[in-house]
Parts: sequence; C-alpha cells; structure tokens
Amino acid sequence: MEEYIREPCPWRIVDDCGGAFTMGAIGGGVFQAVKGFRNAPAGIGYRLRSGANAVRVRAPQIGGSFAVWGGLFSTIDCGLVRIRGKEDPWNSITSGAMTGAILAARSGPLVMVGSAMMGGILLALIEGVGILLTRYTAQQFQNAAPFAEDPSQLPPKDRGLGL
Amino acid sequence: MDNNSQGSGGVKSGLGSLFGGGSPGYSNNDLAGVSLTGMSPLSPYLNVDPRYLAQDTDEFILPTGANKTRGRFELAFFTIGGSCMTGATFGAFNGLRMGIKETRDMAWSKPRNVQIINMVTRQGASWANTLGSVALLYSAFGVVFEKARGAEDDLNTVAAGTLTGMLFKSAGGLKGVARGGLVGLALSSAYALYNNWDHITNSSSSASSRLY
Repeated sequence: MEEYIREPCPWRIVDDCGGAFTMGAIGGGVFQAVKGFRNAPAGIGYRLRSGANAVRVRAPQIGGSFAVWGGLFSTIDCGLVRIRGKEDPWNSITSGAMTGAILAARSGPLVMVGSAMMGGILLALIEGVGILLTRYTAQQFQNAAPFAEDPSQLPPKDRGLGL
Repeated sequence: MDNNSQGSGGVKSGLGSLFGGGSPGYSNNDLAGVSLTGMSPLSPYLNVDPRYLAQDTDEFILPTGANKTRGRFELAFFTIGGSCMTGATFGAFNGLRMGIKETRDMAWSKPRNVQIINMVTRQGASWANTLGSVALLYSAFGVVFEKARGAEDDLNTVAAGTLTGMLFKSAGGLKGVARGGLVGLALSSAYALYNNWDHITNSSSSASSRLY
C-alpha cells in the first residue's frame, strides 16, 4: 500500500525543505526554460541555449526561496505541535501566517500583516481541500445500513447515543 | 488421554535411556561417543541441525509492494533538504568569515553589521542553492537509473554522481563536462566505497542500513 507517510517531527523539517526545493526548482525550471526560449533571437540553437542558461541561473534561486518557505513553515509547524500537543489543521494555518510574516519582516509591519494573511489563507485553502478529500474518500468505506425484516423490530430512533 | 499418557511415558523412558548412563560409574569415555549434532552454538536444547535454520537478521513482515530498504525516491527529499541546509550553514559561516575580513577596517557600527549580515545571507543562499541543485540532479538521476534497471546497487550511485558532475559543469564546454564528470565519479565512488567498507574488508556483513 503506497500511502504518504510523514517522518516524525525533527526530520520532517528536512523532508519538507527538500520537497519544497524540488517543487520550486522543477516548476521554476520549466517556467524559466519557456521564458528563456521565448526571449531569444531567432534560431533554434540560440533559443535552446537561452532556455538552458535561464534555467541554470534562475531555477536554483527559485528552488532556494521555496525551500526557505517550506523549511520555515515546517519548523513553526513542528514547534506548534510540540507546544499544543496535538496535530490539527489550525497548526498549519497558523504556521503559514507566521511564515509569511517572518519572511516579509524586512519590509515593515504593514507588509508583514498582508503577507501573513496571504500565507494563512493559502494554507487554509490547502487544508480545506485536504479535509474535503479525506471525507470524500472515507465515504466509500462506510458500511451499508443493515436491513431489518420487520420495521417494528427496529430499536427506537433516538437513543441519546449522541452523533 | 490414554495416548497422551502413553506418549509421555514413552518420552520419559527415552530420556531415561539417554541419561541412563547417569547411574554412578560413567566416565568421559562413555560420553565421548555421544554425537553432538543436536548441540549447536545457538542452544544446547536444539535437536535440529542449525544449518537448516535460515538466520535472517531482519525478521520483518513486509506488506505487498514494499521492499526492505527505502527506495531512492523516498530518500530523495531528505537528501535534497539536508544538502540545502548544509549548504546554508556552510555558506553562513563562510559569509561571516568573509564579511568580517572585508570590513576589518571599519568600526563596529550599523553599516558594518548590515554589510556582514548581507554577506552572510548572500553566501548562505548561494551555497544552499548550489548544494541543493546538485542533490536534486543526483537524486533525479538515481531514481531514473533505479527505475530503468529495476535493481538498486552502488552502480546507480556512481553513475548518478558522474552524470550529475557532467551536467553541472556543462556550461564550461567539453572540458568542463569532463572535469565535472571526473569529480562526480571520484566523489560517488568514494561514497560507495565508504558504504561498503565492511563488506569489502571483511567477510560478514548483514544488510547495513544505507542512506543513499
């Protein structure tokens, strides 16, 4: 069964840093290749070389900034898990907001607040999609309601069991 | 019940015959003829020849589709992240050293601190990006080789390292490619050698835990 199993918390930071770097480098690489290809003189040789140069220069930088974002996010997340003692979506949302704030720290308080809101909303969307996906896939595994031959044999409807 | 009692009686009599020589008066000569196939280094009570026991040190039950050691793809993120962080630390220290050296003639003031901090962050970012991209290329080639060959061993490591070196220095023309390839070959061979050192210099080595 191939399920995505996360590492325990200290090593999760390194894993997330690496994952973010990979995403940034490959995504940024594709973008920069297309951009370099287009902003080049005519001729396939020039275009390919320009694309390769753009990837070589810019892709590690984009990957690096993604890695900083991912590593900082994961560090704050693990810290919150440690402090609060539980794992839930609120940790991720708060971590996203704090990461956005810290990374904009050099630009002043107003930009920090804006960046924090962006990070928090982005993480809230991601977590929301994750929760919806979990609920949807869990529905498939629900047991069918048992059939009763005689309706009068059914137990009374409200048993005060909660739920 | 009757069978059981008879069985136990049989065992007792058997044991009695084994230790029948335990009556007073037995000497080492009598015992010398007792064969030791039942006695094994594992346990004197084993009456099975231990050569028939498969001594596998990892007695794990694996679910379908899982393999014993982690594949390259699962280790890739850890490798890349670790290289990034190592590069960042090294670059930060390097930047600190360079910053202090270059601003030696300035007094301790805010501009000097800002200069040093700028050097630290620039060098840290630069080294982190370099090491991270090297690790990314190495992991990508390793995964490609693993999937293509269907097997996992040190040849993948060495080949991936060589190709990474070649690609990394591909901007320097053919000479750069050759030099980068040689450096990659040397480093990855050293790493593979380090991993298998016990296996090469010694005979016994179980499946050591290897992080690629």
